[in-house]
Amino acid sequence: MKTFKRWLNSFLLYELLKGLKVTFVNMFRRKATIQYPEEKTPLSPRFRGLHALRTYPNGEERCIACKLCEAVCPASAITIEAGVRESDGTRRTTKYEIDLFKCIFCGFCEESCPVDSIVETRVFDYHFENENEKVMTKPMLLKMGQIYEDQIAADRAADAKYR
Amino acid sequence: MGKVHIEINGQKLEAEVGSMIIEVADNADIYIPRFCYHKKLSVAANCRMCMVDVASLPKAVPACATPVAEGMVINTKSDRAIEAQKSVMEFLLINHPLDCPVCDQGGECELQDLSVGYGEDVSRFTEGKRVVKDKNLGPLIATDMTRCIHCTRCVRFGQEIIGIREMGATGRGEHVEIGTFIESTLESEISANIIDLCPVGALTAKPSRFKARAWELQQTTSIAPHDCLGSNVYVHHRRGEIIRVVPRENEDINEVWLSDRDRFSYQALTEGERLLKPRIKNNGKWQETDWQTALNLVVKEMKRIIGGTEGKEFGALLGNNVTTEESYLTQKLIRGAGCNNIDFRMRRRDFSGDGRGSVRSGFNFPLAELDNMDATLLVAADLRHEQPLSAIRVRRSTGFGSAMAINPFDGEYNFRLDEELQPKPEMLAQEYAAVLVAADAKRPDILSAEAKEWLSGIKAEEVHHRIASNLIESENACIVVGVYVQEHPQAEVINWISESLANVTGAKWGYMTQGGNSAGNKIAGAVPSQSAAGGKAIKGKNAKQMIKDGLKGYLLVNCEPDVESVWSKEALTNLEKAECVIALTSYVDGRVSEYADVMLPIAGCYETSGTYINVEGKWQSFTAAVKAPDEARPGWKVLRVLGNLLDLKGFEYESSKQVIDELREVFDAVSDRRNARKVPPALGKVSDKDVTRESLGLYMVDPMVRRAKALQQTPKASTHPISISRVKTS
Repeated sequence: MKTFKRWLNSFLLYELLKGLKVTFVNMFRRKATIQYPEEKTPLSPRFRGLHALRTYPNGEERCIACKLCEAVCPASAITIEAGVRESDGTRRTTKYEIDLFKCIFCGFCEESCPVDSIVETRVFDYHFENENEKVMTKPMLLKMGQIYEDQIAADRAADAKYR
Repeated sequence: MGKVHIEINGQKLEAEVGSMIIEVADNADIYIPRFCYHKKLSVAANCRMCMVDVASLPKAVPACATPVAEGMVINTKSDRAIEAQKSVMEFLLINHPLDCPVCDQGGECELQDLSVGYGEDVSRFTEGKRVVKDKNLGPLIATDMTRCIHCTRCVRFGQEIIGIREMGATGRGEHVEIGTFIESTLESEISANIIDLCPVGALTAKPSRFKARAWELQQTTSIAPHDCLGSNVYVHHRRGEIIRVVPRENEDINEVWLSDRDRFSYQALTEGERLLKPRIKNNGKWQETDWQTALNLVVKEMKRIIGGTEGKEFGALLGNNVTTEESYLTQKLIRGAGCNNIDFRMRRRDFSGDGRGSVRSGFNFPLAELDNMDATLLVAADLRHEQPLSAIRVRRSTGFGSAMAINPFDGEYNFRLDEELQPKPEMLAQEYAAVLVAADAKRPDILSAEAKEWLSGIKAEEVHHRIASNLIESENACIVVGVYVQEHPQAEVINWISESLANVTGAKWGYMTQGGNSAGNKIAGAVPSQSAAGGKAIKGKNAKQMIKDGLKGYLLVNCEPDVESVWSKEALTNLEKAECVIALTSYVDGRVSEYADVMLPIAGCYETSGTYINVEGKWQSFTAAVKAPDEARPGWKVLRVLGNLLDLKGFEYESSKQVIDELREVFDAVSDRRNARKVPPALGKVSDKDVTRESLGLYMVDPMVRRAKALQQTPKASTHPISISRVKTS
């Protein structure tokens, strides 16, 4: 009897139809596929993408070269050199570099920053064409901050009450 | 002293009567938090952080100001102690700014560390914080006076250690400010120690301001190269760059201090114009080349000049702070190549003492004994500007003993002088001999007849008698002969008088030497009169002859005779005239690029391994803290390869340790052998022109210091500290 049932099932393509049923059901479901890059999935305000250095509204960079991010970075991806800024004698970085090949996007740098200077933006789609482009330099990071400041500020505001 | 028995945190301890609780606890490795207490300074008890709970007392007491008593039961961690400490911390944090992220002390700050343990996370203080204007203390020390917690360590350091009250507190209560009273820079030569003393970030180092954080620095032990004490230091560096130099505790030498010169001279290595590649002068133009070409040229030129003149027209001059390895290899190289002209004493006029005295130059008693001298006689010694840290030892001894000086200049002292003679420089030997005459009058049976005859023409006056009897009557007495004497045309006479005076009075004596490694250079045999460890040598030309007579070829090892020598003018002309000047140097600036024909880049002092021998004969080896930049190589390696290229035997060293071990072996066999000094010929007249008018100066002593930017901006750099022209005429 068992043998007969199995024979009948294969003869009538029961497994195939069972599988096709899933296909048919999903054919009429709402599509999960998005048309990247025209469409994008929603991102959390806590998303940890490419880094940026923020500036104050008056254009002054936030970073004060305390080097906490460099110290906390588990991948040693951040390299900072600091010094006295000649114009006003304040403590500023002379070099701020993030090696994106080393970075694991853990977000510790952002957590440790006392002035909310280094942040991780929602940008996650980027590519390099040359090997030396993997290092984000200070001007690049500041530029990121300028371009995405509105988004960054909105994200920090959205997340503020949970901090 | 009697002993008492106390108990701290349940640990039974024995303590000296009169010692404070904090000292006993420190010795037993029990930590009590503190800000104002420092073991080298007096007790102020004004920070109140070290509150501890003593069982028999109703309130918590400060551990730094409470002497121990028999049966005391102390608890540093009881509720009462912790509560007291927490309360004090809350008060301290009222006015302290929350700017740790921009503070250079962050990461090594005592207040920061302790606030983690004793501070509350939320302040109850809502009123405005106090702001204090920053003081300008000069090019070495940066200030952020708002951070000051008024521990007065810096004030006490000035008062008690330097002996010059540079810093002080003005105002009361909320309005207390630490400053210099009148706007002025700190002028003391050891003032930068207040950077280490400051428990917060109020006083920090200006040259390394904002450069690095304490946690990212690597630490290498090393030896400071600028004075003959051989202060122990830590070199702090990061990613191969020296960030700062701080003292390493050594009670025998520098205690916990460091002179500004040793602390900030590293700037020459990091910010000076460094020579990065070997260079050859081609038709008057510099051409960068590789080591092979440059070394081959050096060998060719050395062979040509030494071979052509039987070694008479070639000579090597060394700086005062080359390592012992470098000077040993230089003399081995030069002598092996068939030339005997080698010297490092470019500031010496009188060479008649060559081969006399001990193999090693310097002191015959430990430096630390200067602390306990009942009588100290300084002879042409400007300790503050020559060996700054030895001056604070003499100063300590003047607390109970006396200091006397026969200085041919109006010196600056940070201690009281009981007797001060200011002879004209040309009369120094005569004046000093008068003291010997006075001593001889008191103890007539010690000097030889020959010596007595030598002294016969000299008359001692009242003051000489006082000096002599002070030396004789004091239990511990010493004579310290300064660097200036070595520049004096009658140096040997003065040394002989010192030795004789020490014999007669029973005092100890020693002479300070120029630079960091004069003793090492002498032991290594970098003098024309003796080879390594006092061995025999075929007599060659000394520095004076080499510089004044002029040679066809010079080998300069880390020195600039045109600045350092007392014959600087002649040095410049003769170096320019020479056919071939080979300079082993770390720097490109200065006149060296005008007169040199080949420049070989060598590593600076913290970039090479080596050994310095200090004035008391301590051999102190150190390793390289950082790598020399670009093509520059440690001097001993360059000299070793030169030895190979000249086909000399015994140049198969693989490390600097092998070099020093070789020298050590020879030296241990002879040890401190001495050749007695002979009674010198009758005292001649010294012409006014033959004495140095000015010393090299505190911040001019060697190529490295001369290029240390911050030091050169200090007031002490622009004035020659011992200027004979300042002799009082009355």
